[in-house]
Amino acid sequence: MRKSKLMLAPVLLWLSIFLLIPMLIVVVISFTQRDTLGNVVFSFSLEGYKTFFDSLYLGIYWDTLVLSVLTTVICLLVSYPLAYYIANAPAKMQKWGLILITIPFWINFLIRTYAWVLLLRTQGVVNTILMHLGWIQDPIQMLYTKGAVLLGMVYNFIPFMVLPIYVALEQMDKRLLDAASDLGASRWKAFRYITLPQSKSGIMTGAVLVYVSTTGMFVVTDILGGAKSMMISNIIQSQYLGARNWPFGSALSVIFVITSLILIMLFNRAMQSKADRAKEGRA
Amino acid sequence: MKRKGIFGLLLAGALTVMSITALGGCSSKETLHIYSWADNFDEQVLKDFEAKYNVDVTYDNYANNEDLLAKIKAGGAGYDLIQPSDYMVSTMIKSQLLEPLDKKNIPNFVNVKKSLTNPAYDPGNKYSIVYMSGVTGIAYNKKYVKEKIDSWDALWNPAYKGKVLLLDDNREVIGMALKKQGHSLSSTNPTEIKSAVDDLKKLLPSVLAFDTDTIKQKMIQEEGWISTVWSGDAAFIFKDNPDIEYVVPKEGAMIFSDNYAIPKGAKNKALAEKFINYMLDPEVSAKNYESIGYSDPNEKAMPFHSKEYQDNHMINLSEDEMKRTEWIKDLGSTLQTYDRYWTELKSGRE
Repeated sequence: MRKSKLMLAPVLLWLSIFLLIPMLIVVVISFTQRDTLGNVVFSFSLEGYKTFFDSLYLGIYWDTLVLSVLTTVICLLVSYPLAYYIANAPAKMQKWGLILITIPFWINFLIRTYAWVLLLRTQGVVNTILMHLGWIQDPIQMLYTKGAVLLGMVYNFIPFMVLPIYVALEQMDKRLLDAASDLGASRWKAFRYITLPQSKSGIMTGAVLVYVSTTGMFVVTDILGGAKSMMISNIIQSQYLGARNWPFGSALSVIFVITSLILIMLFNRAMQSKADRAKEGRA
Repeated sequence: MKRKGIFGLLLAGALTVMSITALGGCSSKETLHIYSWADNFDEQVLKDFEAKYNVDVTYDNYANNEDLLAKIKAGGAGYDLIQPSDYMVSTMIKSQLLEPLDKKNIPNFVNVKKSLTNPAYDPGNKYSIVYMSGVTGIAYNKKYVKEKIDSWDALWNPAYKGKVLLLDDNREVIGMALKKQGHSLSSTNPTEIKSAVDDLKKLLPSVLAFDTDTIKQKMIQEEGWISTVWSGDAAFIFKDNPDIEYVVPKEGAMIFSDNYAIPKGAKNKALAEKFINYMLDPEVSAKNYESIGYSDPNEKAMPFHSKEYQDNHMINLSEDEMKRTEWIKDLGSTLQTYDRYWTELKSGRE
């Protein structure tokens, strides 16, 4: 017992130095003030939090939530069939499927995003092909739109959704499906009552990963959105740099972390069926 | 056997590292630590400096003035020479982060164009000397923009809807709209600022993107037809796309500069001053600016420049154009007002 605690010590130390303390610093700064030069003045103030309840910042927060939820839902719709297909393929194909999903991860995120610029811009690959085929006369403006931002988000985070769902499906006991079909269940029924509930843990993990990554993203809106839409993380970044208002930036970060935690908890609750909760209660 | 080989290699590596550090410790070679923008010097010019004075030069990069400020505030990180922009010089002076320059060590200071000395952000050049300067004007592609442009009004022309690019910076964009209406770039008058922002809201539907770092590529690729662009960037775009024209609008425009400055507590202050003096030598100066493509603030360097450089009007703006320019000032607490309006503009919310 004692030994195992000792083994944990380095990890705990690591977490407290590099995670807890920085977060505490952010919390402390969020209650301070800014002087005219942008320096942090250590006197107690709620100014940062008050500023957030301005319709402008609340509106941007709402936009961020909508985009993040939308990205998560689209990622799920695209990734589930893909993960299902890979998990049910022969072993050799599974390996290749997983490699193909992870290869983009080896390339720098910025380069992957800039690649979309080359594809989508007015003189880009897609427009050139469409014009050569004679389907369009003038190039379509695809870049620097909200659609391009959504595309960039979904594209970048699909692996975050595919991998957890794949793991859940892979671990599922396939004999249950045989039993269901022996007992006369249709394939849809078997999927609805066996496969889907069994892969729930994967969906939950994937959804949280995609959601959190999307809300924290600020480069995609700049590169593919032409910096014309703002997410809350763009505001946080600008408060720390250009606007030199660290207290407000910190207050936004704190609010952001807390609301995200609440949302994730609510989501986990909703995903757990009543039956699950009852079972846990009995155990 | 194999294991022994790896061990031997590690040992050899460790010994090499140790001997290098030991040598570094023993040698009397001074090292100049520069902290500046990426690709801001001609490499050969730096190497020549190393050879001439038997010193070493290290060169680290930052991407914006705020990164620089944060690092210097945190204790300077051992840098001897930094290159803050104009407004950042004044912020750093007020925050007491800069060392006064000893002009006795920089006799070549007399070579700097008079119009670029004694700037508002550092009266009497006590803490800084200009390194390069430029003006934010309009760049446009003659293939698509047929009219002759001389006013910021052109950006609002509905013919260029969806093809307008703006710099991704609140001072640049709000300042431009203020200037268009005949006010100061650094206005703190709420009615003037509001009216400029309302004007910009009318421009928004025409804007393709806000961009600073890659606005050059967007103009070269002809994604945008007309944009607010720094004069040095205009010269860069022109090299790859000769259809580009650049103009300083008649209402006036923003002038900006990057400067030499020495952070407080620098270990090699004298060497940094020696470096500034070296860079202001006419021949060195010509070599350097020819390579990096910015305008040369050195009056005496012109004869050493190529004809191509001398004839480029994007690099060498006319006196008339320079007269129309204005430096930005630190806004103090009004910066918050600009920032909120900027967020409104970019998010399309209120």
